[in-house]
Amino acid sequence: QDKPVLRFSAVFSEQDIRAEMMKQFGEGVAGFSTLEPYYGGNLFKQGTELVALQRGNLEMGNIAPQDVSNQIPAWSLLTSGYLFRDAEHLRKFFDSEVGAEFKKMAEDQLGIRILGPTYFGIRQVGLRIDKEIKTPADMAGVKLRMPGGDAWQFLGTALGANPTPMAYAEVYTGLQTGAIDGQDNPLPNVENMKFYEVMKQIVLTSHLVGYDLLVISKAAWDKLAPADQEALQAAATAAIDFSQAKHVEREAELLKKFETDGLKIYAPDVDAFRANTQKLYLESELAKSWPEGALDKINAL
Amino acid sequence: MASLTRIGAWLHARAENLLAAMLATMFVVFIVQIVFRYLLNFPIGWTHEISVIMWVWLVLFGTAFVVRDHEEIRFDLLYSTVSERTRRAMVVICAVTVVFFFAISLPAVLDYIGFMKVEKTAYLKIRFDWLYSIYGLFAVAMIVRQLWLGYQAIWGRPGDPIDVTKIKSGI
Amino acid sequence: MSLAFALSLGLITVLAFMGLPMGASMITGSILYLLMRGQDMGIAAEQLLNGMYTNYIMLAVPLFILAAEIMNSGSLSERLLNWCNAVVGRFRGGLAQVNILQSIVFAGMSGSAIADAAGSGKMMQYMMTKDGKYTPSYAAALTAATAVIGPIIPPSIPMVLYALVADTSIGYLFLGGVVPGLLMAGLMMLQVAITARIRNFPVEQPVPLRQLPRMTWQALPVLLMPAVLMFGIYGGVTTPTEAAAVAAFYALIVSVFIYRAVKLPDLYSSVLTSAKTTASIGMLIAGALVFNYVVTIENIPRTISATLLAWDLDPTMFLIAVNILLLLLGCVLEGTTILLVIVPVLIPTAQALGIDMVHFGVVVVVNIMLGLITPPYGLLLFIMTRIANTSMRALVADVGPFLVGLIIALLVFTFVPDTVLWLPKLFGYVSPSITP
Ligand code: NA
Ligand code: NA
Repeated sequence: QDKPVLRFSAVFSEQDIRAEMMKQFGEGVAGFSTLEPYYGGNLFKQGTELVALQRGNLEMGNIAPQDVSNQIPAWSLLTSGYLFRDAEHLRKFFDSEVGAEFKKMAEDQLGIRILGPTYFGIRQVGLRIDKEIKTPADMAGVKLRMPGGDAWQFLGTALGANPTPMAYAEVYTGLQTGAIDGQDNPLPNVENMKFYEVMKQIVLTSHLVGYDLLVISKAAWDKLAPADQEALQAAATAAIDFSQAKHVEREAELLKKFETDGLKIYAPDVDAFRANTQKLYLESELAKSWPEGALDKINAL
Repeated sequence: MASLTRIGAWLHARAENLLAAMLATMFVVFIVQIVFRYLLNFPIGWTHEISVIMWVWLVLFGTAFVVRDHEEIRFDLLYSTVSERTRRAMVVICAVTVVFFFAISLPAVLDYIGFMKVEKTAYLKIRFDWLYSIYGLFAVAMIVRQLWLGYQAIWGRPGDPIDVTKIKSGI
Repeated sequence: MSLAFALSLGLITVLAFMGLPMGASMITGSILYLLMRGQDMGIAAEQLLNGMYTNYIMLAVPLFILAAEIMNSGSLSERLLNWCNAVVGRFRGGLAQVNILQSIVFAGMSGSAIADAAGSGKMMQYMMTKDGKYTPSYAAALTAATAVIGPIIPPSIPMVLYALVADTSIGYLFLGGVVPGLLMAGLMMLQVAITARIRNFPVEQPVPLRQLPRMTWQALPVLLMPAVLMFGIYGGVTTPTEAAAVAAFYALIVSVFIYRAVKLPDLYSSVLTSAKTTASIGMLIAGALVFNYVVTIENIPRTISATLLAWDLDPTMFLIAVNILLLLLGCVLEGTTILLVIVPVLIPTAQALGIDMVHFGVVVVVNIMLGLITPPYGLLLFIMTRIANTSMRALVADVGPFLVGLIIALLVFTFVPDTVLWLPKLFGYVSPSITP
């Protein structure tokens, strides 16, 4: 009974769809290893899992691509706005040749093996104000809460807004009282955190496909027999498929729910947003670290 | 010896200046943040980062160099009722234990701090090994302090009586 | 539970009993655990540093401490006392009622009971005992009991700490404390009024009513402060964390520019004292963060939750058990330690039982505040015996009736959740356990 233990740490809660995904995964690998999951950021805080993996304090994690791009600047391409169109496109990328190059970078430079992207919804702008948003120009002066850090604030600016950093836990009261005018999160988060109660409209900007990376440390991976490695990858893919389908379904349900709750929901001129965002990215410092031609290859997928 | 004490007192006063400056910075930066977002409608993020950095440094620097042991939050129910002799013995046992565990963990701790050179803060791009180096200082200071306390307990004069009104608590 | 965990817990307990500061005890015990499990001992640094770096909400704590220090060093408390005296001094047991009324207003500005007792409490003690009107122990007992409501009425440092461990909205927690705090104060006023008749407490020289407007005007900047804070938070100017900075800023402006009572050296000493207090409470938080890793990787909360759920407790029984546990722990432990180490272990069970986290939070905080006036280990008792120069025995005897009243109030909050949740709901709070 000395099956290797896979300690897994994630920020999402034990009630999240992705916790169910991990349960499935755990059952899938039970034959040759034991999954020990810790949820809610209780073991390692958000954004600190990558270093824990690198230092051997964790075998598996669900880490944000932004954390990878902290250490591998080329990865900032994969965190840029209006890159992936939807969950399908995201998956297609990670299965593609150019995707393999990025995965290899992470494996070689960080010692982590990426099992696949865990989709959790497309980020949409939600506002507490009535103003109709069609183009980035309409977002001028809107205090839009975005996660902290330059890259996120850049995306907020590209959307035309006044990006405002604020702790996630304070966003609800911020919206309620007007300290901020809006937030950008995938619909399932909007439901979890009850943001919809204090919002008037959802602008379907679809500016960023939200995903994390299900990863295993290379050290833990290399300890497995080839057959077990194959089984682990298969279990991960199946679990990710399940979670992705659930999320896509949930987003559709929530759109209907929020609409019946009386929120105004509409799509702006997404092409105008995309053109503006991609233009600003290409002019910025960020794009300098992007691998030659990678953006075109992803667009073509 | 007298001049050594004077230098020590001078250093302690400077450490106090620094500690007060950290809290003052945190306070000012908060006000700037509110003014920029609410009054000027120009939200800024780096204020956020400075105040968190001040918080981390304030606590570790303060504990290492400014706050005295009797001002820390501690459970002194038993400690304050036992005889002087027993109390001295307790101080020595604590000192030996703390020195042992802090010393034995020091290499791994320094290794972690060094490892953090791979990460930078989100706004000011400060390398985390620099930012987190305060823990290294704190750990070394803990060891030195406990050695001193242990030495005092064995060879020094009796400690001051405990002043309960000086107990610190945030609540 | 592994042997390593048992030994780690044992070491922490022994070190703490021997007088080592709690924060250092927890870090030391955690290193023992890491060593025994053959884990990376760098985790001690990792958990402490990342835990402190990523918890922005905690920054409210030092700023609320700073606000209280500035208020105590200025003449804010004095003007407030004069005003309270003009309002309720004329009744039997007038000064005792003044003590309660000023505690309510002070509670609306300060987040710390210790700060309330050490600041305005000291002044109250002097006024009540200077002509032998009240016995030192009665005055001290009342000051201790009224200081308890300081962090129940918002703002509140313990509630910030609870929000941290329970992942709850600070804004709603603050609102949840308003009604319980006022009820507790009302109950004490009633108790004082009754005791005043029995013991024939003195009446103060009534301040002529026509002077009241002038005194109100003088005290106005202080009286307005709770409103300013509430407007800041609920009017969209600040987040609850930032409100702490506004509190300090407002106190600074009032004492330096309006009352001109604070000089630069006073200000420096306020900042330094606050910084030291911050460092010592921060060290306790730091130690709890490191030990939390040990508790988590040992799956302690999950195990305890499973055990408790297997007993098939209903929420009421669970809450009774929590009240008893916390009141007992409060007799021997410091409140911050209970909040940061014991409460996180109880939260998963409370959630599983469908107990509202804001309701639970207020109940927990009231419990912890009562721990400040329960012997043998009650910080407020220690401080008041020193300030009043009275014996612990006399003080405990006089605190007794107030403690009984406050425990009854606690039971009411426990079993009538709407005493807590009514106001938050009015401001749009939806209890997550009620919505599907
Ligand atoms: Na308060
Ligand atoms: Na009082």
